[in-house]
Parts: sequence; C-alpha cells; structure tokens
Amino acid sequence: MRARLLLVAGLALLVAADLALPRLLNPYYLTILTRIGVAVLAAASLQLVNGFTGQFSIGHAGFMAVGAYVSAALSVYAGADWLAGLSGALPAPLARGLYFPLPLLAGGAAAALAGFVVGIPALRLRGDYLAIATLGFGEIIRIAILNVDSVGGARGFSLASPSQPGLDLRYEGLGAIYAVVALSVGVIARLVYATGGLAFRAVREDEIAAEAVGVATTRVKVEAFVVSSFFAGVAGALFAHSEGYVHTNSFSFIRSFEVVVFVVLGGLGSISGAILAATVLTAAPELLRGLGEWRMILYSLLLIVTMLLRPQGLLGQRELVPSWLRRAAREPHGAP
Amino acid sequence: MALLEVTKLTVRFGGLTAVSQLDFEVDAGALVALIGPNGAGKTTAFNVITGVYAPTEGSLRFDGHEIGGESPHHICARGVARTFQNIRLFRALTALDNIRTALVGANRSGLRDVVRGPGWRRHERTLDERARGLLARLGLERHAEARADSLPYGEQRRLEIARALASDPRLLLLDEPAAGLNPSEKDALCALVGRLREEFGIAIVLIDHDVGFVMELCERVTVLDHGEKIAEGPPDTVRRDPKVIEAYLGVDAGAAA
Repeated sequence: MRARLLLVAGLALLVAADLALPRLLNPYYLTILTRIGVAVLAAASLQLVNGFTGQFSIGHAGFMAVGAYVSAALSVYAGADWLAGLSGALPAPLARGLYFPLPLLAGGAAAALAGFVVGIPALRLRGDYLAIATLGFGEIIRIAILNVDSVGGARGFSLASPSQPGLDLRYEGLGAIYAVVALSVGVIARLVYATGGLAFRAVREDEIAAEAVGVATTRVKVEAFVVSSFFAGVAGALFAHSEGYVHTNSFSFIRSFEVVVFVVLGGLGSISGAILAATVLTAAPELLRGLGEWRMILYSLLLIVTMLLRPQGLLGQRELVPSWLRRAAREPHGAP
Repeated sequence: MALLEVTKLTVRFGGLTAVSQLDFEVDAGALVALIGPNGAGKTTAFNVITGVYAPTEGSLRFDGHEIGGESPHHICARGVARTFQNIRLFRALTALDNIRTALVGANRSGLRDVVRGPGWRRHERTLDERARGLLARLGLERHAEARADSLPYGEQRRLEIARALASDPRLLLLDEPAAGLNPSEKDALCALVGRLREEFGIAIVLIDHDVGFVMELCERVTVLDHGEKIAEGPPDTVRRDPKVIEAYLGVDAGAAA
C-alpha cells in the first residue's frame, strides 16, 4: 500500500518536473542534468558486471553506442511515422509519452543481444585479458557503426526524419528521463539484492567455490553481462533522444573509461556509490568551468586524492539508501 | 548398489599420472577416509568426483548416474558437496550470505527477483530461515552477520561445512577438515563429523594426513600413494599393512632412526 502511494506521488512529481523544470532552468542546466541521468544509468549497469560479478569490463561505451544508434535509427526510419500517426489521434504530450519507451526498449534489446554475442566468448577470459577483450569489442562496435552510411557514418546521425521533416524526435522531459533511470536502477538493485543475486557476488568472490555450491558460473556471468548491456543500451538511447544527435566520438574508449572511473571511485559493489560518483564527476567539470584550463587539473587531483584516501572507493561495498526507499523496495534483508 | 562408485579412474596431467586405476566405493550413510602422503592424489580424486577435472579414463557413478565430466554445479545439484583444503569461503559476504548462496533453489536470479510478488517474499523468508537454521546447527548463529573472513580460523572451517550442507547433499567430501586445528578443536570436529552423519543421514568421505584422527572416526580407510590405491579396509587392518607403513615412513625407516 505504502509502495503504491509512493509510486503515485513519484509519478506526480515527475510530471510536475517535466512541466515545470524547462521554465525554471535554462537549457544549459537541463542538459547537464540529463547527462547526469545517462551517466548514472551507465554506471549502475556497469556496476553489475564489474562490481558485483567481478568481471572487469571496459567496453561499456560500445553497448551504449548500439543502444543509441539502434534507437535513433528506429525513430528516424520508422518511429517518426508512428509518432506522427499517434499525434494525430491523441494529444501531443500523451503521444510522445506513449512512443518514447519504444526506442528505449529497442536500444536496450539490441545492446543486450550485442552483449550476449560478445559476452559468450569474452567471458571465458579472466582479469586483464577480459578487460582488453571488452575494450577491443567496444572499439570494434564503434568503428563498425562509423562505417554504416545509413546512420550517418562519420558525419554523425541527426534525429531528423526525411519523411516527417517537421517532427521533433527528441525527448527532453527531465521527469521522464529520470523515471527511466530510477526504474532501471531499481531493477538492477532488486536483481542483486535478493538471494538469487548472491550468485553474482559468489562468482566475484571465488569462482571455484561458487561452482562447488551449485552456481552455474558461466551462465551467471553471461546473465550479468546481458543485463548490464541492456541498461547500457537504454542509457545510450536516452542520450541519443535527449541530445537529438549522435556521433561515434561520444562512445570511444574514453567514454568507457569514464564509466569505469564512476564504478571504481564509487566503490566496486555499491550501486549508490556508482550513482554518487557518476553524479559528482559529471557535474564537477561543469561546475569547475569558471576555472578555465585549471579545470581538468583539479578534476584529476580530485580523482587522485580520492584514490589515495579511499582506495576501496567512496562507499566501498556498502549502500547508502534512505530508509523510506528501502522499505518501498521491500528489501527483506537490508543491503549490506 | 553403492552411492558413489569409482571404477578404474585415471587422471593424467600431461605426463603426470595423478590418479591411476582407482577403484573406490562409498555406501549411503558411510563414513570413510581417504589417506596418503603428500602428492598421493587425494585432492585430485576429490576434484574429479566434484567435476573440477574430467577423468582421463574410468567411470564415476553417483546414485547410478555417470557423472564423470559433468560440470561442478551439475554434480552439486545431484547431491555431492565438498569443502576445500585451503578454505574457500566467499570472503566479503556475511556468514549467512555464504549459506544462502548455496541453498537449493537459491542460486539463480531471475525476473521474480525484480517483480517481487507475494510468493517471492515467502520464498525468501523460507530460504533465510533455512540458512539461519544451518548456522545454528553448526553453532555459528552469533556470526550470522559477520563477514566470513572475519571469523576465527576454526569457525571458518565450520562455516565451510555448513555451506556445503546447504545444498542438501547425500555425499559430503571434506578435504583435510582438521588441517590447522589445535587438538581440542580436532576433538570437537571429530564429534561434529560423527553428528552430521547421524543428523543429516549423509555419507561422508574425508581426506586427512592425521592417521590417528581418521582411525578413530572412520569405519573404512582407503590409502593412496603415488595415485594408486595401496590398501583398503577397516582402520586396524590398514594401520598394520606393511605397504602403508612403507608409504608413510619409508622402507629404511627403522634403519634411519
């Protein structure tokens, strides 16, 4: 009952945010807030693989690229007509709200499929070898996309449909974007913090022992990789639809490293830590903009000092969750 | 029919034959020991039975099914559980979570964990109770929320046994459970192993160097040396077997002393 009330209150808040925020904040802040949402989702999804399952992947941007491009292509080549049709029958905001989940799911599904295909061979490797392999796969995906002319190639890909030239395919509603992020993070947290989800952590702690107590380690690893890729795809799709333009440069290995930094700095094995780090490190370069070229030096110093003072990451393996949220999530054992 | 039948089992690693033509049986509910000097192939035999290695030759039948070459988690699901010589707990997890991971019907995640319907809550509660029950039966309940690697050594060994029991085995393989324990802890372990067999109705095979410990506890002893079985039988007979004495002490032991 409580949970349902909370859900209704949350939805109301989101709709209010969608309507009010564009009036209150200038587009610059809206963009930063959107990027924080995307970064949070990317970090939380990578945490499942790197932090909980202990498989060090550094190719996350590749899966975000798959999500971004597949969702963008869907919107441009087919979605625009559907959206135009829907808008004719329904009020515009409702039509957009109904259409919006579709590219996100498509982007997520495509990335999950890519994760499955990449994960099966790559997850046979361990440690550094896995890291290098995922890095390589991430780059292969990016460069493959770079050579597909129908999604713009090196020119980048604008979300402008040739058949519906006047139609804006972007979705900038901050409320909806954060709803998607919250829902996705919730799914990941529920997967991990259940008895079944202990299998992820068992694989991280000791694969041989995990097998010996009945955990199908290969399947668990692939499962983690596929779920993680799915949400990376959703994050990519969110990015594409909020920016309205995608380019493969946004998904280079630098982007992958950035997400790894969120995860490591937040604490391997802490979803809230990854969220915290993603938020701070996405906002920091912008907040420090006033400092000119000192900005990146300060950013680097921030990283170095954190690693020196908290080598286990900001939160280690603990979770910082407000108690009302924990109750609403029906967390039976309490996250560690 | 024996619960576990090992027939002409051979394991080779390249040119090294770790286990050679081993015949070995364990009846349901039996308590037997596998002993032998260092490098005799005891742990390798365990590793093959639990699926860590595939047998090079020979057959492994558990409960009438051929299990040679199956993956460890399948063999675990059939009812074979084990502990490790050098304790392998999930170190960063709590004692309780170590057990929960191993519970039957627990070790896979799925959509039901996301949806969390009413049945899910009941299921989780049952699992939690079962895990706490196991901890209590091994006298570890006060450590439930402690990280596994923060437990004293002897209790880590007990926790590993509890975790093995969580998968509802019919055969429990203990790899040097007494290693590193002091004499009073060894006595306690002795009593515990006997009690587990009674209470859980399971067969237990244990590996040890400590001949005295094994002789006191087990009804049947198999002795390995250089991968081959050199003796088998009740402890008293095996103890007097000249081949066993030779394997442990060497031929010229008397002269050297």
